[in-house]
Amino acid sequence: MQSFRQAMAWLHTWFGLVLGFVLMAAFFFGALSVFDREIDRWAIPSTRFEPQPMPSYERILRPAFERMQPLPATVDAMRPRVNGAMPDRFDTVVSWSAYTTHRDPVLQLFAGYEVPNAKDPEEAIWADATIDPRDGTPLPNDRLKVGSGFFYPMHYGLTLDWKNLGIWIVGFSALIMLVALVTGVVMHRKIFREFFTFRPGKGGLRSVLDLHNLTGVVALPFHFFFAFTGLLIFAATYYFPLGHTQLHDLHDLHAEVEARETGLPHQRAGIPAGLANVDAMVAEAQRRWRANDKAGDVGFLVLQHVGDANGYVSVYRAGTDRIALVGDGIHFKASTGELIREDPTPTATGRVAEFLTGLHLQHFRHWLLRGMYVLGGLLGAVCIATGFLFFVEKRKRQHARQGQQGARVVDALAVTTVTGMVLAALGILVANRLLPEDLPARGDWERYAFWGTWALALLHAAWRSAPVARGLTNPAWREQCVAIAVLAPMAAVLNWITTGDHLLRTVGEGYWPVAGVDLALLAGGVVAALTVRALNRRAVAHPLSSMAAAETRHA
Amino acid sequence: MSRTITPFPAPRLHLLARIAAAILGGYGFTWGFIAAGASLMFAAGMGFHDAEFLASLLGVLAFVAVFLWTFAARRLWVVGAVLAGGGALLAATGSFVQSLLV
Repeated sequence: MQSFRQAMAWLHTWFGLVLGFVLMAAFFFGALSVFDREIDRWAIPSTRFEPQPMPSYERILRPAFERMQPLPATVDAMRPRVNGAMPDRFDTVVSWSAYTTHRDPVLQLFAGYEVPNAKDPEEAIWADATIDPRDGTPLPNDRLKVGSGFFYPMHYGLTLDWKNLGIWIVGFSALIMLVALVTGVVMHRKIFREFFTFRPGKGGLRSVLDLHNLTGVVALPFHFFFAFTGLLIFAATYYFPLGHTQLHDLHDLHAEVEARETGLPHQRAGIPAGLANVDAMVAEAQRRWRANDKAGDVGFLVLQHVGDANGYVSVYRAGTDRIALVGDGIHFKASTGELIREDPTPTATGRVAEFLTGLHLQHFRHWLLRGMYVLGGLLGAVCIATGFLFFVEKRKRQHARQGQQGARVVDALAVTTVTGMVLAALGILVANRLLPEDLPARGDWERYAFWGTWALALLHAAWRSAPVARGLTNPAWREQCVAIAVLAPMAAVLNWITTGDHLLRTVGEGYWPVAGVDLALLAGGVVAALTVRALNRRAVAHPLSSMAAAETRHA
Repeated sequence: MSRTITPFPAPRLHLLARIAAAILGGYGFTWGFIAAGASLMFAAGMGFHDAEFLASLLGVLAFVAVFLWTFAARRLWVVGAVLAGGGALLAATGSFVQSLLV
């Protein structure tokens, strides 16, 4: 039995160490993504107004959709997949759709068009746009949505898009998270006691291990469900895409049956047809939701095969008031506005799927619960960070005696993924406020600021790491905390200088998206400053303690 | 409760084999598990996406289980045989069930 326990401990230590660096990013940027829309408001000041409901199709959406054409770059990218020349304009609509949530002031529009002579006739060409839903004004679409367009994809795919490599790395790390949770529980039989055990005064190693166990055990259900549901959300699309591969025929069989049952045509009929009043269809959908005791707002509106006799309009409900990610789609014939179908009540499995995905993606309106998500994510990050610290603290004196560099390298990487990652996030926010408004490819420069800051943090951590090889502490920990304590409030002050939205104003007006980001920045700065003070105090109290300990053991 | 992290009780090559078996063998086994599970549940009357979801849910848990087992098992060849053979058998079941239905 001893060897079983040893094997589990080995798994926990080494897989946890290697994939822990990825998991830190998944947890930290996941925690930030809980408030991705709010970070977007902070980063794009022209969108700082109240969230809006789905606007009228007839007044706002139709003119906006009619303006939409794919960007020249998109047309060029598609060129090799087409026989012959590309047309100047795309007019045959595959779908027009609009998406919003209860936290979005701006509205996202998507337009897909058929491409004549495309090698894969199913492939459409896409355009997207962002508008002000109050009056339909187009908003610049090339501004980087730092929250939903950068931190969020960082959370699930590290923004490594090549062959979805990042999504695979994060997925494997999520699997290892589940493995680490099981092996962690196996290693610690007295798990209940660890709920209540934290001995901050007991000296480095003991306290670090207590904190590792505490953050792991207290938030165990959170860690488990988020790693697990994260894997499930992508399982059928990326990790185990059976429906597109081995079971493709079965999937097609199902799609055929479904199209027959639902009466929603997959193809255009080729017969031109008009479009009945879409606003009336939306009103009818809302009336039906109310009648089913599910009164709600529209989250997603889709017009399929616009201008064709097979055209239909689907109205989906926003998942604002429940955890389960529900759609409750209602579909109308586009030319007449008559009801084609109401999505049936989901099966038991369907409800489990809706609940598990909704649990992870949190479309609901419940600010306390959102706050708990952030806390859970940060507890996960603390758990992994203390795991690194424990790994280093346990080995560094022995490595110092033996002249090995392992602890030193791990410690430098830990600095980079703990304080360095926070600095990178601050780097992109500061750059977002400092770069000229009309800089071409501004979003790219913001990304460079992020990666540049992170690379500097790595170089700094490596450059200052020599003391670890002598059994001491890397001063980079303290120095990067100083940098956080400076940069975080600086970002908030820059927001004030560049937009005039200081905290007294945003809090006074109750504009929480921006006030919240500023307050979080200040809180982060304070935590970093307190950490600096604690590290200073420790350095003064035991300047040579670790060295002395190493010497004693040596003797 | 102090834990001693000793090196893995096996020589290096054996360790690499275990890691490969856990990752690649585990993935193949899980693929087969989901293929068989989804096709059988579909055959039993469940909708394709429901069957796919439920099979994936169980499959991911199975992946975690076989991953742990690969490191806990005394004899690696047993693990390898079960993961490779079982995975292939399960995947074949998936294709066979599909061929009966389509």
